Amino acid sequence: MAIDGRAAVEPLLGFVDALPAAAAGASGPAPTLHLLTFALDREEFGIPITQVREVIRVNGITRVPQVPAHVRGVTNLRGRILAVVELRTRLGLVEGPVTAASRIVVVELRGRTLGLLVDRVSQVTKVPVDSVAPPPEEVVTAETDFLTGVARWDSRLIMLLDLDKVLLLNA
Amino acid sequence: MKAGENPFGDLLQDYIVESLPLAEQVGDAFVELERRWRAGDPGDQVLASVTGSLHTIKGNSAMMGLTPMRDVAHALEDLCGYLARAGASRGDEAAALLVTGGGLLVDLIGSASADTEPGAADQFMARVLGFLGVAPEASAAGPDRRQAERRTQPRAGDTEAASVVRVDFRRLDAMLEVLGEGIIQHSALAELYRRLLRRVGACEELGELDQTVLSLQKTLSRLESTLMETRLLPVSTVFGRFPRMVRDVAHAEGKRVRLEVTGGDTSLDKAVLDRLGEPLLHLLSNAVAHGLELPGDRVRAGKPAEGLLRLQAAAVSGRVAIRVSDDGRGLDQTAIRAKAEALGVDTRAADTAQLHQLVFVAGLSTADRVTTLAGRGMGLDVAANVIHALGGTIEVESRPGQGSAFTLSLPVTLAIVRSLIVEVDRERYAVPLSHVAETVRAEPETIRQINNQGVTQWRGDLIHVADAGAVLGTGKPCEAPRPFYVVMTAGARRRGLLVDRLIGHQDIVVKGLDPALGRPAVVSGTTILGDGRVACILDVVRILEGAAHGN
Amino acid sequence: MSESFLVIDDSKLLHQMYRLIFSQGDLAGSTIHYATNGREGYGLLAAHPDLTLVFLDLNMPEMNGLEVLARARAERLHSHVPIVLVTTESSEDDEARGLAVGAWDYLRKPFQPADIQRLVRRARELRRGRGAA
Repeated sequence: MAIDGRAAVEPLLGFVDALPAAAAGASGPAPTLHLLTFALDREEFGIPITQVREVIRVNGITRVPQVPAHVRGVTNLRGRILAVVELRTRLGLVEGPVTAASRIVVVELRGRTLGLLVDRVSQVTKVPVDSVAPPPEEVVTAETDFLTGVARWDSRLIMLLDLDKVLLLNA
Repeated sequence: MKAGENPFGDLLQDYIVESLPLAEQVGDAFVELERRWRAGDPGDQVLASVTGSLHTIKGNSAMMGLTPMRDVAHALEDLCGYLARAGASRGDEAAALLVTGGGLLVDLIGSASADTEPGAADQFMARVLGFLGVAPEASAAGPDRRQAERRTQPRAGDTEAASVVRVDFRRLDAMLEVLGEGIIQHSALAELYRRLLRRVGACEELGELDQTVLSLQKTLSRLESTLMETRLLPVSTVFGRFPRMVRDVAHAEGKRVRLEVTGGDTSLDKAVLDRLGEPLLHLLSNAVAHGLELPGDRVRAGKPAEGLLRLQAAAVSGRVAIRVSDDGRGLDQTAIRAKAEALGVDTRAADTAQLHQLVFVAGLSTADRVTTLAGRGMGLDVAANVIHALGGTIEVESRPGQGSAFTLSLPVTLAIVRSLIVEVDRERYAVPLSHVAETVRAEPETIRQINNQGVTQWRGDLIHVADAGAVLGTGKPCEAPRPFYVVMTAGARRRGLLVDRLIGHQDIVVKGLDPALGRPAVVSGTTILGDGRVACILDVVRILEGAAHGN
Repeated sequence: MSESFLVIDDSKLLHQMYRLIFSQGDLAGSTIHYATNGREGYGLLAAHPDLTLVFLDLNMPEMNGLEVLARARAERLHSHVPIVLVTTESSEDDEARGLAVGAWDYLRKPFQPADIQRLVRRARELRRGRGAA
């Protein structure tokens, strides 16, 4: 099945650096994506930096009874209660322990603020848009449903998460 | 019509403060007038009592450029003028017109803004004109206005108008949120002081720190009480719509009812008030539809044809009591018993009080006949749930042939709740103190296992004792027996909850549940404790309910 | 000495409106006395012989405007102080009766700040005319 790479990238174009109009011409630098990348299990995932509010250390997550399986609990974000999503179970990976490297990525999506529990956060990565391909078809796991694409860049394989789908918690 | 075009647009709030109580007075008077007419009383004084208020409303509305309100007041004034004349037809049609107009006026003024839609007002004026057209003498001469200008009623709002500021209620919520953070930070500071004291021992500086922490607490609690006061509104803001609704139900049911309202100036937090309207409305409609008898039946029973419905509010030892009582037939014990038996409840041993409590049980509260209002609303069980969720209680008393009374006891405010903090499997939970009857050391030999449930003797009764780990689904096997249980109560339900530790009493600031958490049945909210950790607040009402249903 | 006025009206809202009007233009700085019923208004009128102008609402508890007016004129109380009877629509009969018992003018609600300013100007002219005479 032929897939137009450009079409797959279309949903991401909103997150491309806003380039000044003059630089947007053919001679300008290739458009890039700014991603926050983090590790889950042995895989690397990325989300557009525009959706990230901050990254915090894990400082006590309180379990809440009778919540959906992928909700780890709640934590105190400077006096606000933040719900923390266990990203591993949400993506169909095995649940992992909280370690010193664990972080909560605070994301803001459609007016809501949520925390994503991840194993480790790498730094912000710039990825050229044309390094992004649609999710490979041979990888058929629960997680493919949540991907918008895969970036092959700098000998890394970064899976781009579709937070809209990931956090559509009741779907 | 825009606010900017009127030179007095900034006085809109002052307009409402002054005119709304007048309009409510007028509306209530019309309901009363209709009642009197039915009883054959001309009600001249009632009619005369409203004309002054109507005139003031008309003038005020005109000054504010609020045409719909001015028009309705004017039409009502004309209508009253006509009805005050000898020989005017004071029938049902006139009464209905007055009651409708009074309600409309209250609605219009209550929601007054510069762009109020004139539609309803225009329709009403057309109806009044039509009515007066049927009685042509009305336009021949104006009513005797000097009689109308006498007014004796004291007027609410007179003293406040000058200093009233309009504040969006969301801002008060935001202020409360900030105060909440202050309270949490204070607890953190107090905790830090205790740790320091343990580490370095008493010294002068620590003594001063202790004093400062203490005075900070006093400042915060003063701020809290000021803010809580700001959030208070008189219950009359909710009661205001009841006379009309009661009248409507009475009409539909063919009943004659006098509604007596007292204590309208009793104050409650707006958050509590907002959720109180529905349950109260249900209790009132229920009383009219099912409590009060038809006029003929009443007379045969030796009672006045007109039923008496009372709505009373009063502040009672830090809480607000609201009572809805009627002088009707009382709860039908035979019917309750029959229904309960049909649902498989054994009522043979139940005494009268226990039987009455059954009206709050789902499936038993629904009356046989579905009436327009009582049927549309919630059941008594739902009303009771709302009250319980507000941290309140509801009780019923009834005597056959003499009537029933429902008494609600409500906390004045919602957002800060005094709670017992407990620990279960290393997590902390808050149990609102209003639902805690007692904490008891659990001696293993006093708790027996019956049908896999713990049962113990408490204050002469047998109550169930459940393991908190199981209720909260902590998923950890219970290694050692938990040393304490908390006796939780909600209404007539009681249950012990076994916990690992009792941490102490604390004022907690209630925070909501993120929608991402779904709707857990055993938790009503969250709070932040002094050490910065989040604790869940147990929803005692639903835990006890679940226990009753689950078993 | 600044000018002073008397407002007799049972509506606090109207007091606020007068306050607003009297805080603007050359009216700013004048003294206004407020009464919330006819009886109180009559007392204030008696206590202040030097008022520039009196605004007297028609519809009030405890002595309505017409009663206040009639009594003040009958007792020849400060007959040099002009009294404006404030009415609402459909009070035409009362307006006529007011003028008959000695109102200087009437003002019908809804009025505008300009109406008050115009009446004050006329009252000042009246005062100056009397002073010169």
